[in-house]
Amino acid sequence: MTELTAEQIDTGPRSGWQAPNLWWLVLPAVLFLILFFLIPVLSLFATSFDKAFAGVITFQGNLTWDNYERIFTRALYYKAIYKSVFLGVAVSLICLVIGYPLAYVIARTLRPGTATLLTILVLASMQLDMVIRLYGMMVLMGDNGLINNGLTALGIISEPLPLMYNDFGVVVGLVQVTLPFMILSLIGAIKSINPALEEAARSLGSSRWHVMRTITWPLSLPGVYAGTLLVFALAISSYVVPALMGGWKVITLPIHIYQQIAEVGRWQFGAAVAVILFLTSLFAMTIYILALRRNAGGRV
Amino acid sequence: MSDVKPIPLTFRIIAGIALLVLLVPVSIVVMAGFNSGEFLRFPPDGLSLRWIKEFFVSQTFLPAFKMSFGLALATTFVSTVLGTLASVFLTRSTSRWREMLRALFIMPVILPGVVLGLALYVFYIWTDLGLARSLPGLLIGHVLVTMPFVIATVTASLVDFDLSIEEAARALGASPLQAFMKVTLPNITPGIMAGTIFAFIVSFGQFELTLFLSTPDLQTLPIAIYTSLRYAFEPTAAAAGIFAIFLVTVSTLLTSRLVNLKKLLRRH
Repeated sequence: MTELTAEQIDTGPRSGWQAPNLWWLVLPAVLFLILFFLIPVLSLFATSFDKAFAGVITFQGNLTWDNYERIFTRALYYKAIYKSVFLGVAVSLICLVIGYPLAYVIARTLRPGTATLLTILVLASMQLDMVIRLYGMMVLMGDNGLINNGLTALGIISEPLPLMYNDFGVVVGLVQVTLPFMILSLIGAIKSINPALEEAARSLGSSRWHVMRTITWPLSLPGVYAGTLLVFALAISSYVVPALMGGWKVITLPIHIYQQIAEVGRWQFGAAVAVILFLTSLFAMTIYILALRRNAGGRV
Repeated sequence: MSDVKPIPLTFRIIAGIALLVLLVPVSIVVMAGFNSGEFLRFPPDGLSLRWIKEFFVSQTFLPAFKMSFGLALATTFVSTVLGTLASVFLTRSTSRWREMLRALFIMPVILPGVVLGLALYVFYIWTDLGLARSLPGLLIGHVLVTMPFVIATVTASLVDFDLSIEEAARALGASPLQAFMKVTLPNITPGIMAGTIFAFIVSFGQFELTLFLSTPDLQTLPIAIYTSLRYAFEPTAAAAGIFAIFLVTVSTLLTSRLVNLKKLLRRH
């Protein structure tokens, strides 16, 4: 018996603050999440199956599929799903096209100072309050904004260009807001490619574009998938960007949720739209996390 | 090494465009805040501190700024304590529940803010504990969306920490608690501080969740700016924005000194 104990100390589960008796450490956070996250989200699911009564929030228990049926049978609502997905796809692709080169520069520049500076700029612009950035976008793109103002002053246009309060404005706003996430997803993926592979191909006579197309791009695909899905999930979930840049003319799922609740008071129906939005985003995020895991070889 | 090719010109140009997309809106806010006219025009009217002064006497934006700041401090405190404790468990436990818990801790940021805000609001009304449209209710929501950031950074620094140092302290007679507090904690402090700063910034800029949980007398800065943006471009809002930009820039610089950015990126 004494021998066994000695052996356990040497090779068995490590001593100190890591034994199975660490449950109390995680308990506060878990209880907090169960009470204020799991239960509320499940309540929302339950509400979405409750019969819709304007102005009534409390649970009545009249379970029905009506709310979901309404979403998929009324053009107003299924068009919002289509609009959200369309905007999400457009934004992901644009972010990929303009984000990849910047990520490449950060990952491959030979000057470490440049890489650090650019990374800090990307991180800082990601963390800055979205509403403040949208203020800048609106001053730039409004009918009396800097662009229209400048072009009119130069005599290039006589009527202001419709840059905002339409799909175009919402897409530009969403790209601004989600681009940092794309870039950060790509930097890691490009960095993990051994530069020797690219150099070898170059020294064997491949053109720079050929190397990019046949080596760098395919090897960075895990990062491309991860970034695209992350941006998609963020774009379809955004309320503030379509609200401000779309001026209530671009109706997406989050806009519907808020309108159903704030204006009509139809909580049950709003909850059903929320569930649809959640499932769409969850689907994209699950694939995103799986792609990340594969990319990181289980380190995440 | 002299053979290393520079980055293709097309890539440099598009990278420049991407940088412009990221930075131009921020520069415009700074310009609008320091502009002397009522409205930012092209070419600009001139520099003045008029709107900055206006911000300090504003009945809307100054209280909102203070509110956001105070809420972010309280949120950060709760998130850091809960998140750090949870991180120790997540990196050291061998429980089969570990992976499930990890997924649970990420969930609040995966859920769209509008959905989480609505869920919390409905829950607050159902339970009728006085949380609806109250400061504690708002705080709970902010803790939910900031804790994942604390857990991510603290977990990363715990994974990097060499356990044998703590074991050495144990072997020399320290109790588990002593060894952790005196050896491990000082070593992961940079990670915890980085997580703290992350949490602060996320809470300070949080909008969509707050939309459902705040009231006119509980207005945070993002909500106040959003409300004013629906009617006009108030330069005072831009002046408030300048202080927020300053806050974020300083904290990003701080984080980058505290944790190895490259390491953080690899993990993402």
